[in-house]
Amino acid sequence: MIQLINLIALLLAKACPLLLAAFGGLLSELSGVINFALEGMMLTGAFAAVLGTWVTGSHWMGLLAAISSGAMVGAVHAGASLKLRANQIVSSIAVNLLAVGLTGFLLNQVFHVYGTSPGVEALPSLSSILPQTGVPDNLRRFAQGTSILVPAALAIGIAVTAFLRWTVPGLRLRACGENPEAARAAGLMVRQTQFIAVCTGGALAGMGGAFLSIGELSQFVENITQGRGYLAVAAVILGRWRPTGVFLAVLFFGCGEAVSEWFAVRWPSLPNQLFLVIPYAACFAVLALYTGRRRPPSALGRVEH
Amino acid sequence: MEMNRGEEKAKASRPWRFFSRVFQTPVPNPLRRLSAGFLTAPAAGLLICMGLALAAGAGPIDLIRTIWSGSWGSAEAAINTLTKMTPLLCTGLAVALAYRAGLLNIGCEGQLTVGALVSACFAVAGSRLPGFLLLPLTLVCGAAAGGLWALPAILLRQWRGVHEVISALLLNYMAIHLCSYLVSGPFGDGTAMGRTPPIPAWAQMPEVWRSGSLFFTLAPLIALLLCFGAWLWLSKTLWGFEARSAGTNFDAAVNAGISASRWQIMIFLKSGALAGLAGALEVCAVHHRFYRSFSPGYGFDGLTAAFLANGSPQWLWLSTAFMASLRSADKLLQIGLNLSPNFILVVQAVLLLSVVSQGGIWRQIDKFSSQARRSSRKDDSTHQPDRAVTG
Repeated sequence: MIQLINLIALLLAKACPLLLAAFGGLLSELSGVINFALEGMMLTGAFAAVLGTWVTGSHWMGLLAAISSGAMVGAVHAGASLKLRANQIVSSIAVNLLAVGLTGFLLNQVFHVYGTSPGVEALPSLSSILPQTGVPDNLRRFAQGTSILVPAALAIGIAVTAFLRWTVPGLRLRACGENPEAARAAGLMVRQTQFIAVCTGGALAGMGGAFLSIGELSQFVENITQGRGYLAVAAVILGRWRPTGVFLAVLFFGCGEAVSEWFAVRWPSLPNQLFLVIPYAACFAVLALYTGRRRPPSALGRVEH
Repeated sequence: MEMNRGEEKAKASRPWRFFSRVFQTPVPNPLRRLSAGFLTAPAAGLLICMGLALAAGAGPIDLIRTIWSGSWGSAEAAINTLTKMTPLLCTGLAVALAYRAGLLNIGCEGQLTVGALVSACFAVAGSRLPGFLLLPLTLVCGAAAGGLWALPAILLRQWRGVHEVISALLLNYMAIHLCSYLVSGPFGDGTAMGRTPPIPAWAQMPEVWRSGSLFFTLAPLIALLLCFGAWLWLSKTLWGFEARSAGTNFDAAVNAGISASRWQIMIFLKSGALAGLAGALEVCAVHHRFYRSFSPGYGFDGLTAAFLANGSPQWLWLSTAFMASLRSADKLLQIGLNLSPNFILVVQAVLLLSVVSQGGIWRQIDKFSSQARRSSRKDDSTHQPDRAVTG
């Protein structure tokens, strides 16, 4: 039972950063902008969270810094690809490189260290909002090992799903990705909608980054994301651009990461690299084997002139 | 890169159109052509980076002097830079070739690592072979391994419609972890260093020139020759034309009877093979063995170099020389100016961003200047036929 609870807590901790980033990517891709820059957004968010916490002393301000810096990275990507019509894939890759470089550069400039930042106060765990008495032991144990961002991430996932499915702005956003000409003819401001979608996606991904740095750990490590942003993009593809599909894909990748960590603890004698490769290999295998009918948004990657 | 020649020329003239409009003078032709890909956007990007360095306490003069003395200032530094140029030429060519066929090969990092490991293992295992056979076979093995490592990515694109960037990135991570495991376990030299045994002396790249401890191998020449050959192939042969047409307009190519998707697969495999060859050359000419975390980012450097050269193999020597200078100056930057090596990555990213958006930047400037002209024309009522701003 305890093992099961630990496993579920581990699964949620691994899936939630991916969930936030993947839903951010979903917003931007449904609006018609290719977003491979999730990696950079997460990385910037992770660094900004630590920096914000270190400067202000409050982890909530750190979270806010992560969200806003993610949105700023989104603005760079959106500006380059919408306003300046750069190739969206290359612009994403440049943004990712910029994030790696800039976080490492600033880490050295601000903290005067290489590799790992000094520790800051992490976000509280879920047990801080539980009442003191009248809670079953198992639940309390689960809450102690779970960051407060987990329910927030799940709520955001549900909110984004509802937004896309049942609201008028959500429909408009999807219209921009499916047929921008028709959307413009219907009187929508296509570029602005896309810009806002990419920035919001960046904010979510930045929050996912904050989960990694001040949710799970309490410090920033150079290149802390380790390709999780790319896994999130893969989750969007695997989920066939549908919120429920993306949610399932994220759970699957979270499982992969959790299993990798679980195995590494279970069999410490086996080489570590074999476990590290599990999430990527699982992702690749599923991409290769899975066939679905849904296609990407029709106008994905195309900027109307 | 995706546009045809005429459009490229129009784009090249755009900065100078602005210049002539402001200063009311025609601009000499060679200058116009130079501004096509190399000068305008990178200059803007470099200015941004200098601002960043200034904010970190390094003046622009110091910065340029340090980079120069770290990369070309002495014979040792120059040879170091040329050595660093070799893998960049190969990976840059890999990216440029794939890009001309409408693909983005971002998996160079993984292909290079796999190519390097396989070639090192082959050279160690085949040490009974004579020298004239061992070295070429080693290089071929590395290239084949790189090509094979690129195969899943392109097949996934053709069969499942998964973008090759995502699958290639996943393959990168897999390659790095797997090679790290293999080299610390089965293929290692028994120490805890995470490296293979050294390759035999007759598998090493022959030296062209040596003076004291400084030497210069055949490897950069091979890479330069490859670039030259790729340029010839791409721009002077029918095959090159067919491959390029798959990149410029896929549907038109298919309608014209060119099997465009087959060309894309072929080119992507070649691109992977070039990246693998970069690894093999590194093993044979520089390190003489494979070790853990082999590539210090040659894949992404190659990407930037390819875009700086506007996807043309004939200009790669210039852009890779630039990237290699930055790379080989990073230690001096760290010691002399206290800039972390990540500064190079920032420079690279800003350059990449400015290069891919330079068309848009000039379009914006055109828009402003034509708006300004139009409003000034309203005041004095001299009428000229208005040339529409294209783009």
